[in-house]
Amino acid sequence: MRQSIYTLVVLILILCFSAGQGWSDDTAETSSEAPVDVLQDDFLSDDYLDFEDDMYGVDDIYDPLEPLNRVFFEFNDRMYFWVWKPVKIGYSYIIPAELRECLGNFFNNLSAPIRLVNNLLQGRFEDAGVVVLRFFINSTVGVYGLADVALQEFNLEPRLADFGQTLGVYGLGEGVYVCWPILGPSNLRHSTGLIGDAMLSPLSYTNMTVDQGALYYAVNNINFLSLSPDVYEEMKKFSLDPYIATRQSFYDFRRNIVKMAAEGETDF
Amino acid sequence: MKKNIQIAYIALFFLSLMISPVSATTGPQEQLRPTLSRLVEILGDADLKGDENKKERRNIIMTTISERFDFGEMSKRVLGATWRDINEEQRKNFTIQMTKLLENNYIGQLENYSGETIEYVGERVKEDRAQVSTLIENNNVKYPVHYIMTEKDGKWMVYDINIEGVSLIRNYRAEFSSILRTEKFDGLMEILKEKNQSFE
Repeated sequence: MRQSIYTLVVLILILCFSAGQGWSDDTAETSSEAPVDVLQDDFLSDDYLDFEDDMYGVDDIYDPLEPLNRVFFEFNDRMYFWVWKPVKIGYSYIIPAELRECLGNFFNNLSAPIRLVNNLLQGRFEDAGVVVLRFFINSTVGVYGLADVALQEFNLEPRLADFGQTLGVYGLGEGVYVCWPILGPSNLRHSTGLIGDAMLSPLSYTNMTVDQGALYYAVNNINFLSLSPDVYEEMKKFSLDPYIATRQSFYDFRRNIVKMAAEGETDF
Repeated sequence: MKKNIQIAYIALFFLSLMISPVSATTGPQEQLRPTLSRLVEILGDADLKGDENKKERRNIIMTTISERFDFGEMSKRVLGATWRDINEEQRKNFTIQMTKLLENNYIGQLENYSGETIEYVGERVKEDRAQVSTLIENNNVKYPVHYIMTEKDGKWMVYDINIEGVSLIRNYRAEFSSILRTEKFDGLMEILKEKNQSFE
Protein backbone atom coordinates (compact mmCIF):
# COMPACT_ATOMS: atom_id res chain seq x y z
CA MET A 1 0.00 0.00 0.00
CA ARG A 2 2.69 2.43 1.10
CA GLN A 3 4.75 1.63 -1.97
CA SER A 4 1.85 2.36 -4.31
CA ILE A 5 1.40 5.74 -2.63
CA TYR A 6 5.06 6.52 -3.28
CA THR A 7 4.67 5.50 -6.91
CA LEU A 8 1.66 7.76 -7.17
CA VAL A 9 3.53 10.73 -5.68
CA VAL A 10 6.45 10.23 -8.04
CA LEU A 11 4.07 9.94 -10.97
CA ILE A 12 2.30 13.15 -9.95
CA LEU A 13 5.62 15.00 -9.63
CA ILE A 14 6.68 13.86 -13.10
CA LEU A 15 3.36 14.95 -14.48
CA CYS A 16 3.52 18.34 -12.80
CA PHE A 17 6.90 18.84 -14.35
CA SER A 18 5.76 17.87 -17.82
CA ALA A 19 2.62 19.96 -17.37
CA GLY A 20 4.70 23.02 -16.62
CA GLN A 21 6.36 22.56 -19.97
CA GLY A 22 3.15 21.79 -21.74
CA TRP A 23 1.55 24.79 -20.21
CA SER A 24 4.09 27.28 -21.50
CA ASP A 25 3.81 25.71 -24.95
CA ASP A 26 0.08 26.13 -24.76
CA THR A 27 0.03 29.81 -24.05
CA ALA A 28 2.24 30.39 -27.04
CA GLU A 29 0.01 28.29 -29.23
CA THR A 30 -3.45 29.55 -28.37
CA SER A 31 -3.36 32.49 -30.77
CA SER A 32 -2.31 30.57 -33.86
CA GLU A 33 -4.11 27.37 -32.97
CA ALA A 34 -5.38 25.37 -35.93
CA PRO A 35 -9.11 24.68 -35.77
CA VAL A 36 -10.42 21.16 -35.32
CA ASP A 37 -10.63 19.42 -38.67
CA VAL A 38 -14.19 18.44 -39.52
CA LEU A 39 -13.59 18.54 -43.27
CA GLN A 40 -12.18 15.02 -43.40
CA ASP A 41 -15.70 13.72 -43.20
CA ASP A 42 -16.74 11.67 -46.25
CA PHE A 43 -20.19 13.07 -45.86
CA LEU A 44 -18.97 16.50 -46.87
CA SER A 45 -17.38 15.46 -50.14
CA ASP A 46 -19.00 16.38 -53.41
CA ASP A 47 -19.87 13.01 -54.87
CA TYR A 48 -22.49 12.39 -52.21
CA LEU A 49 -25.29 11.68 -54.68
CA ASP A 50 -23.53 8.63 -56.08
CA PHE A 51 -23.36 6.90 -52.74
CA GLU A 52 -25.93 5.31 -50.53
CA ASP A 53 -26.60 6.57 -47.04
CA ASP A 54 -24.20 4.19 -45.34
CA MET A 55 -21.27 6.19 -46.69
CA TYR A 56 -22.16 9.13 -44.52
CA GLY A 57 -22.24 7.76 -41.01
CA VAL A 58 -26.02 7.82 -41.30
CA ASP A 59 -26.83 4.16 -41.79
CA ASP A 60 -23.74 2.68 -40.18
CA ILE A 61 -25.28 2.92 -36.74
CA TYR A 62 -26.14 -0.56 -35.49
CA ASP A 63 -29.49 -0.33 -33.75
CA PRO A 64 -31.19 -3.75 -33.69
CA LEU A 65 -32.85 -2.83 -30.39
CA GLU A 66 -34.63 0.16 -31.92
CA PRO A 67 -38.18 -0.83 -30.83
CA LEU A 68 -37.07 -1.26 -27.22
CA ASN A 69 -34.82 1.81 -27.39
CA ARG A 70 -37.74 3.91 -28.57
CA VAL A 71 -39.73 2.82 -25.51
CA PHE A 72 -36.88 3.90 -23.24
CA PHE A 73 -36.47 7.11 -25.20
CA GLU A 74 -40.13 7.88 -24.64
CA PHE A 75 -39.68 7.10 -20.94
CA ASN A 76 -36.72 9.48 -20.72
CA ASP A 77 -38.71 12.15 -22.52
CA ARG A 78 -41.49 11.92 -19.90
CA MET A 79 -38.84 11.80 -17.18
CA TYR A 80 -37.36 15.02 -18.53
CA PHE A 81 -40.61 16.97 -18.70
CA TRP A 82 -42.22 15.53 -15.56
CA VAL A 83 -39.26 15.21 -13.22
CA TRP A 84 -35.94 16.72 -14.31
CA LYS A 85 -37.30 19.96 -15.71
CA PRO A 86 -39.65 20.99 -12.88
CA VAL A 87 -37.04 20.03 -10.28
CA LYS A 88 -34.42 21.95 -12.23
CA ILE A 89 -36.61 25.07 -12.30
CA GLY A 90 -37.29 24.91 -8.54
CA TYR A 91 -33.65 24.20 -7.80
CA SER A 92 -32.47 27.15 -9.93
CA TYR A 93 -34.99 29.36 -8.17
CA ILE A 94 -33.81 28.43 -4.67
CA ILE A 95 -30.06 28.25 -5.28
CA PRO A 96 -28.27 31.22 -6.87
CA ALA A 97 -26.29 30.66 -10.05
CA GLU A 98 -22.93 31.37 -8.40
CA LEU A 99 -23.49 28.63 -5.86
CA ARG A 100 -24.59 26.19 -8.55
CA GLU A 101 -21.46 26.96 -10.52
CA CYS A 102 -19.36 26.27 -7.42
CA LEU A 103 -21.11 22.94 -6.95
CA GLY A 104 -20.54 22.11 -10.63
CA ASN A 105 -16.85 22.91 -10.24
CA PHE A 106 -16.72 20.72 -7.14
CA PHE A 107 -18.25 17.73 -8.95
CA ASN A 108 -15.89 18.27 -11.86
CA ASN A 109 -12.86 18.47 -9.64
CA LEU A 110 -13.82 15.23 -7.92
CA SER A 111 -13.82 13.39 -11.23
CA ALA A 112 -10.24 14.45 -12.05
CA PRO A 113 -8.90 10.88 -11.55
CA ILE A 114 -11.09 9.74 -14.47
CA ARG A 115 -9.60 12.34 -16.78
CA LEU A 116 -6.07 11.72 -15.51
CA VAL A 117 -6.11 7.97 -16.06
CA ASN A 118 -7.79 8.22 -19.46
CA ASN A 119 -5.48 10.93 -20.73
CA LEU A 120 -2.57 8.68 -19.71
CA LEU A 121 -4.13 5.63 -21.37
CA GLN A 122 -4.60 7.64 -24.54
CA GLY A 123 -0.97 8.75 -24.48
CA ARG A 124 -1.93 12.39 -23.99
CA PHE A 125 0.73 13.06 -21.37
CA GLU A 126 0.66 16.81 -21.65
CA ASP A 127 -3.11 16.82 -21.11
CA ALA A 128 -2.69 14.45 -18.16
CA GLY A 129 -0.26 16.95 -16.68
CA VAL A 130 -2.75 19.76 -17.11
CA VAL A 131 -5.40 17.64 -15.34
CA VAL A 132 -3.09 17.18 -12.35
CA LEU A 133 -2.13 20.83 -12.31
CA ARG A 134 -5.74 21.91 -12.51
CA PHE A 135 -6.65 19.51 -9.71
CA PHE A 136 -3.95 20.87 -7.40
CA ILE A 137 -4.68 24.52 -8.12
CA ASN A 138 -8.44 24.12 -7.78
CA SER A 139 -8.29 21.91 -4.69
CA THR A 140 -6.05 24.38 -2.85
CA VAL A 141 -6.44 27.93 -4.11
CA GLY A 142 -9.90 27.07 -5.44
CA VAL A 143 -10.95 25.77 -1.98
CA TYR A 144 -11.89 22.08 -2.40
CA GLY A 145 -12.49 22.66 -6.08
CA LEU A 146 -15.37 25.08 -5.57
CA ALA A 147 -13.79 27.66 -7.87
CA ASP A 148 -12.11 26.97 -11.19
CA VAL A 149 -9.10 29.17 -10.43
CA ALA A 150 -6.97 27.18 -12.87
CA LEU A 151 -9.15 28.36 -15.73
CA GLN A 152 -9.84 31.89 -14.56
CA GLU A 153 -6.36 32.86 -13.36
CA PHE A 154 -4.02 30.49 -15.18
CA ASN A 155 -6.01 29.98 -18.37
CA LEU A 156 -5.74 26.19 -18.01
CA GLU A 157 -8.66 24.76 -19.97
CA PRO A 158 -10.13 21.42 -18.82
CA ARG A 159 -8.71 18.40 -20.67
CA LEU A 160 -11.61 16.02 -20.99
CA ALA A 161 -11.07 12.29 -21.36
CA ASP A 162 -13.22 9.29 -20.54
CA PHE A 163 -12.89 5.53 -20.76
CA GLY A 164 -15.35 5.11 -23.62
CA GLN A 165 -13.16 7.46 -25.61
CA THR A 166 -10.03 5.54 -24.60
CA LEU A 167 -11.56 2.28 -25.85
CA GLY A 168 -12.41 4.05 -29.11
CA VAL A 169 -8.85 5.33 -29.49
CA TYR A 170 -7.67 1.73 -29.02
CA GLY A 171 -9.90 0.71 -31.93
CA LEU A 172 -12.65 -1.16 -30.10
CA GLY A 173 -15.94 -1.22 -32.05
CA GLU A 174 -18.95 0.75 -30.87
CA GLY A 175 -21.32 -2.19 -30.52
CA VAL A 176 -25.10 -1.94 -30.50
CA TYR A 177 -26.82 1.33 -29.72
CA VAL A 178 -28.62 1.39 -26.39
CA CYS A 179 -30.85 4.16 -25.13
CA TRP A 180 -30.74 3.46 -21.40
CA PRO A 181 -33.60 4.52 -19.17
CA ILE A 182 -32.52 7.64 -17.22
CA LEU A 183 -28.90 7.55 -18.49
CA GLY A 184 -29.93 8.12 -22.13
CA PRO A 185 -28.06 7.53 -25.41
CA SER A 186 -25.17 5.07 -25.28
CA ASN A 187 -23.70 2.06 -27.01
CA LEU A 188 -21.89 -0.99 -25.76
CA ARG A 189 -18.47 0.67 -25.84
CA HIS A 190 -19.72 3.86 -24.24
CA SER A 191 -21.54 1.91 -21.51
CA THR A 192 -18.41 -0.08 -20.74
CA GLY A 193 -16.67 3.27 -20.50
CA LEU A 194 -19.22 4.55 -18.00
CA ILE A 195 -18.61 1.53 -15.76
CA GLY A 196 -14.86 2.01 -16.03
CA ASP A 197 -15.17 5.69 -15.19
CA ALA A 198 -17.44 4.96 -12.23
CA MET A 199 -14.76 2.64 -10.83
CA LEU A 200 -12.17 5.41 -11.17
CA SER A 201 -14.37 7.90 -9.36
CA PRO A 202 -13.25 8.57 -5.78
CA LEU A 203 -16.87 8.07 -4.73
CA SER A 204 -16.63 4.35 -5.42
CA TYR A 205 -14.01 4.16 -2.66
CA THR A 206 -16.31 5.65 -0.04
CA ASN A 207 -18.89 3.56 1.81
CA MET A 208 -21.68 5.01 -0.26
CA THR A 209 -24.93 3.06 -0.46
CA VAL A 210 -26.83 2.62 -3.71
CA ASP A 211 -29.39 5.21 -2.56
CA GLN A 212 -26.70 7.75 -1.82
CA GLY A 213 -25.08 7.05 -5.18
CA ALA A 214 -28.40 7.64 -6.93
CA LEU A 215 -28.89 10.86 -4.99
CA TYR A 216 -25.42 12.01 -5.96
CA TYR A 217 -26.18 11.28 -9.61
CA ALA A 218 -29.51 13.14 -9.40
CA VAL A 219 -28.06 16.24 -7.75
CA ASN A 220 -25.12 16.26 -10.17
CA ASN A 221 -27.51 15.95 -13.10
CA ILE A 222 -29.93 18.63 -11.87
CA ASN A 223 -27.04 20.96 -11.19
CA PHE A 224 -25.59 20.30 -14.64
CA LEU A 225 -28.97 20.86 -16.32
CA SER A 226 -29.49 24.10 -14.41
CA LEU A 227 -26.23 25.48 -15.83
CA SER A 228 -26.60 24.37 -19.46
CA PRO A 229 -28.92 25.61 -22.17
CA ASP A 230 -32.00 23.47 -22.90
CA VAL A 231 -30.24 21.31 -25.48
CA TYR A 232 -32.80 18.52 -25.37
CA GLU A 233 -35.81 20.78 -25.78
CA GLU A 234 -34.19 22.71 -28.62
CA MET A 235 -33.25 19.50 -30.37
CA LYS A 236 -36.77 18.16 -30.00
CA LYS A 237 -38.27 21.37 -31.34
CA PHE A 238 -36.27 21.31 -34.56
CA SER A 239 -36.29 17.62 -35.39
CA LEU A 240 -38.82 15.52 -37.26
CA ASP A 241 -37.87 12.37 -35.38
CA PRO A 242 -36.26 13.21 -32.02
CA TYR A 243 -35.20 9.60 -31.45
CA ILE A 244 -33.11 9.55 -34.63
CA ALA A 245 -31.84 13.09 -34.05
CA THR A 246 -30.63 12.21 -30.55
CA ARG A 247 -29.01 8.99 -31.75
CA GLN A 248 -27.25 10.72 -34.64
CA SER A 249 -26.06 13.60 -32.45
CA PHE A 250 -24.73 11.13 -29.89
CA TYR A 251 -22.72 9.27 -32.55
CA ASP A 252 -21.47 12.45 -34.25
CA PHE A 253 -20.37 13.90 -30.93
CA ARG A 254 -18.68 10.75 -29.62
CA ARG A 255 -16.99 9.89 -32.94
CA ASN A 256 -15.62 13.42 -33.14
CA ILE A 257 -14.20 13.18 -29.62
CA VAL A 258 -12.55 9.83 -30.34
CA LYS A 259 -11.19 11.05 -33.66
CA MET A 260 -9.66 14.15 -32.10
CA ALA A 261 -8.10 12.17 -29.25
CA ALA A 262 -6.65 9.71 -31.75
CA GLU A 263 -5.17 12.57 -33.75
CA GLY A 264 -3.80 14.27 -30.69
CA GLU A 265 -6.07 17.30 -30.80
CA THR A 266 -6.79 18.62 -27.35
CA ASP A 267 -9.13 21.48 -28.06
CA PHE A 268 -12.61 19.98 -27.97
CA MET B 1 9.77 66.83 -54.64
CA LYS B 2 6.77 67.21 -56.91
CA LYS B 3 8.25 64.61 -59.22
CA ASN B 4 8.53 62.22 -56.33
CA ILE B 5 4.85 62.61 -55.61
CA GLN B 6 4.04 61.97 -59.27
CA ILE B 7 6.11 58.84 -59.21
CA ALA B 8 4.37 57.80 -56.02
CA TYR B 9 0.98 58.26 -57.70
CA ILE B 10 2.03 56.23 -60.72
CA ALA B 11 3.41 53.55 -58.44
CA LEU B 12 0.15 53.55 -56.48
CA PHE B 13 -1.82 53.23 -59.70
CA PHE B 14 0.13 50.16 -60.76
CA LEU B 15 -0.07 48.75 -57.27
CA SER B 16 -3.84 49.08 -57.32
CA LEU B 17 -3.91 47.18 -60.61
CA MET B 18 -1.97 44.41 -58.98
CA ILE B 19 -4.16 44.30 -55.91
CA SER B 20 -7.59 44.13 -57.53
CA PRO B 21 -7.38 40.63 -59.05
CA VAL B 22 -6.11 39.32 -55.71
CA SER B 23 -9.04 40.71 -53.76
CA ALA B 24 -11.47 39.06 -56.19
CA THR B 25 -10.49 35.65 -54.85
CA THR B 26 -10.56 36.20 -51.11
CA GLY B 27 -10.60 33.29 -48.71
CA PRO B 28 -13.71 31.67 -47.21
CA GLN B 29 -13.33 33.32 -43.82
CA GLU B 30 -12.97 36.77 -45.35
CA GLN B 31 -16.11 36.18 -47.39
CA LEU B 32 -18.14 34.77 -44.51
CA ARG B 33 -17.19 37.44 -42.00
CA PRO B 34 -19.22 40.38 -43.42
CA THR B 35 -22.31 38.19 -43.78
CA LEU B 36 -22.13 37.03 -40.17
CA SER B 37 -21.45 40.51 -38.81
CA ARG B 38 -24.45 41.80 -40.75
CA LEU B 39 -26.50 38.94 -39.27
CA VAL B 40 -25.44 39.84 -35.72
CA GLU B 41 -26.23 43.50 -36.50
CA ILE B 42 -29.77 42.66 -37.63
CA LEU B 43 -30.33 40.43 -34.59
CA GLY B 44 -29.23 43.29 -32.35
CA ASP B 45 -31.41 45.88 -34.09
CA ALA B 46 -33.94 47.13 -31.50
CA ASP B 47 -36.47 48.08 -34.22
CA LEU B 48 -36.59 44.52 -35.48
CA LYS B 49 -36.80 42.72 -32.15
CA GLY B 50 -39.80 40.86 -30.74
CA ASP B 51 -42.46 38.56 -32.14
CA GLU B 52 -44.40 41.34 -33.87
CA ASN B 53 -41.40 42.06 -36.13
CA LYS B 54 -40.54 38.42 -36.71
CA LYS B 55 -41.69 38.31 -40.34
CA GLU B 56 -39.82 41.43 -41.38
CA ARG B 57 -36.72 40.46 -39.42
CA ARG B 58 -36.63 36.97 -40.91
CA ASN B 59 -37.08 38.37 -44.41
CA ILE B 60 -34.15 40.75 -44.03
CA ILE B 61 -31.97 38.03 -42.49
CA MET B 62 -32.76 35.48 -45.17
CA THR B 63 -32.02 37.89 -48.02
CA THR B 64 -28.75 38.81 -46.34
CA ILE B 65 -27.47 35.34 -45.60
CA SER B 66 -28.69 33.73 -48.84
CA GLU B 67 -25.68 35.34 -50.49
CA ARG B 68 -23.43 33.13 -48.41
CA PHE B 69 -25.62 30.16 -47.39
CA ASP B 70 -26.52 27.76 -50.18
CA PHE B 71 -29.88 26.43 -49.01
CA GLY B 72 -30.43 24.64 -52.32
CA GLU B 73 -27.25 22.64 -51.84
CA MET B 74 -28.20 21.86 -48.24
CA SER B 75 -31.63 20.57 -49.33
CA LYS B 76 -30.00 18.34 -51.93
CA ARG B 77 -27.56 16.87 -49.44
CA VAL B 78 -30.23 16.30 -46.84
CA LEU B 79 -32.26 14.19 -49.24
CA GLY B 80 -29.31 12.19 -50.63
CA ALA B 81 -30.14 9.51 -53.18
CA THR B 82 -33.88 10.34 -53.12
CA TRP B 83 -33.06 13.69 -54.78
CA ARG B 84 -32.47 11.80 -58.05
CA ASP B 85 -35.82 10.04 -57.91
CA ILE B 86 -38.06 13.09 -57.61
CA ASN B 87 -39.07 15.54 -60.36
CA GLU B 88 -38.27 19.26 -60.73
CA GLU B 89 -41.53 20.33 -59.12
CA GLN B 90 -40.96 18.12 -56.07
CA ARG B 91 -37.37 19.32 -55.76
CA LYS B 92 -38.54 22.92 -55.80
CA ASN B 93 -41.20 22.35 -53.15
CA PHE B 94 -38.81 20.37 -50.99
CA THR B 95 -36.14 23.09 -51.19
CA ILE B 96 -38.67 25.73 -50.09
CA GLN B 97 -39.78 23.70 -47.05
CA MET B 98 -36.25 22.64 -46.16
CA THR B 99 -34.97 26.22 -46.35
CA LYS B 100 -37.81 27.21 -44.03
CA LEU B 101 -36.83 24.50 -41.54
CA LEU B 102 -33.16 25.48 -41.63
CA GLU B 103 -34.17 29.10 -41.13
CA ASN B 104 -36.32 28.16 -38.12
CA ASN B 105 -33.50 26.09 -36.69
CA TYR B 106 -30.43 28.26 -37.27
CA ILE B 107 -31.96 31.76 -37.01
CA GLY B 108 -34.48 30.66 -34.39
CA GLN B 109 -31.68 29.56 -32.07
CA LEU B 110 -29.60 32.67 -32.69
CA GLU B 111 -32.61 34.84 -31.81
CA ASN B 112 -32.60 33.35 -28.32
CA TYR B 113 -29.07 34.50 -27.70
CA SER B 114 -28.44 37.93 -26.36
CA GLY B 115 -25.53 40.10 -27.45
CA GLU B 116 -23.60 37.23 -28.97
CA THR B 117 -20.09 37.79 -30.24
CA ILE B 118 -18.47 35.73 -32.95
CA GLU B 119 -14.81 34.97 -32.60
CA TYR B 120 -12.94 33.58 -35.61
CA VAL B 121 -10.65 30.70 -34.68
CA GLY B 122 -9.33 29.95 -38.15
CA GLU B 123 -10.00 28.38 -41.50
CA ARG B 124 -8.98 25.20 -43.25
CA VAL B 125 -9.11 24.99 -47.03
CA LYS B 126 -8.91 21.77 -49.06
CA GLU B 127 -9.23 22.44 -52.79
CA ASP B 128 -12.80 23.69 -53.32
CA ARG B 129 -13.97 22.94 -49.78
CA ALA B 130 -13.32 24.84 -46.61
CA GLN B 131 -14.21 25.04 -42.97
CA VAL B 132 -14.37 28.33 -41.09
CA SER B 133 -14.22 27.78 -37.34
CA THR B 134 -15.86 30.25 -35.00
CA LEU B 135 -16.66 30.48 -31.32
CA ILE B 136 -20.01 31.93 -30.41
CA GLU B 137 -20.40 33.19 -26.87
CA ASN B 138 -23.61 33.10 -24.92
CA ASN B 139 -23.91 33.50 -21.13
CA ASN B 140 -20.14 33.19 -20.72
CA VAL B 141 -20.08 29.81 -22.43
CA LYS B 142 -18.33 29.51 -25.78
CA TYR B 143 -19.67 27.13 -28.40
CA PRO B 144 -17.50 26.04 -31.32
CA VAL B 145 -19.41 26.45 -34.58
CA HIS B 146 -17.79 25.35 -37.85
CA TYR B 147 -19.15 26.59 -41.16
CA ILE B 148 -18.50 24.14 -44.00
CA MET B 149 -18.19 25.90 -47.34
CA THR B 150 -17.66 25.09 -50.99
CA GLU B 151 -16.35 27.31 -53.76
CA LYS B 152 -18.49 28.08 -56.80
CA ASP B 153 -17.02 30.53 -59.32
CA GLY B 154 -14.86 32.27 -56.72
CA LYS B 155 -17.74 32.48 -54.25
CA TRP B 156 -17.54 30.53 -51.03
CA MET B 157 -20.94 29.19 -49.96
CA VAL B 158 -21.93 27.55 -46.67
CA TYR B 159 -23.50 24.10 -47.10
CA ASP B 160 -23.28 22.68 -43.59
CA ILE B 161 -22.98 23.88 -40.02
CA ASN B 162 -21.10 21.72 -37.55
CA ILE B 163 -21.36 22.21 -33.79
CA GLU B 164 -18.99 20.12 -31.67
CA GLY B 165 -18.79 17.43 -34.32
CA VAL B 166 -22.57 17.32 -34.83
CA SER B 167 -23.44 18.12 -38.43
CA LEU B 168 -26.74 19.90 -39.03
CA ILE B 169 -27.20 18.40 -42.48
CA ARG B 170 -26.20 14.86 -41.55
CA ASN B 171 -28.60 14.96 -38.61
CA TYR B 172 -31.52 15.82 -40.87
CA ARG B 173 -30.35 13.31 -43.42
CA ALA B 174 -30.46 10.55 -40.81
CA GLU B 175 -33.96 11.57 -39.74
CA PHE B 176 -35.19 11.83 -43.32
CA SER B 177 -33.76 8.51 -44.45
CA SER B 178 -35.56 6.85 -41.55
CA ILE B 179 -38.84 8.61 -42.39
CA LEU B 180 -38.48 7.92 -46.14
CA ARG B 181 -38.25 4.19 -45.47
CA THR B 182 -41.80 4.09 -44.11
CA GLU B 183 -43.50 7.25 -45.35
CA LYS B 184 -41.94 7.77 -48.82
CA PHE B 185 -41.36 11.23 -50.25
CA ASP B 186 -44.95 12.51 -50.05
CA GLY B 187 -45.22 11.49 -46.41
CA LEU B 188 -41.95 13.24 -45.63
CA MET B 189 -43.21 16.43 -47.25
CA GLU B 190 -46.31 16.32 -45.03
CA ILE B 191 -44.26 15.91 -41.85
CA LEU B 192 -41.91 18.68 -42.98
CA LYS B 193 -44.77 21.11 -43.63
CA GLU B 194 -46.36 20.27 -40.30
CA LYS B 195 -43.09 20.94 -38.52
CA ASN B 196 -42.68 24.32 -40.18
CA GLN B 197 -46.25 25.26 -39.28
CA SER B 198 -45.46 24.58 -35.62
CA PHE B 199 -43.10 27.58 -35.65
CA GLU B 200 -45.71 30.02 -36.96
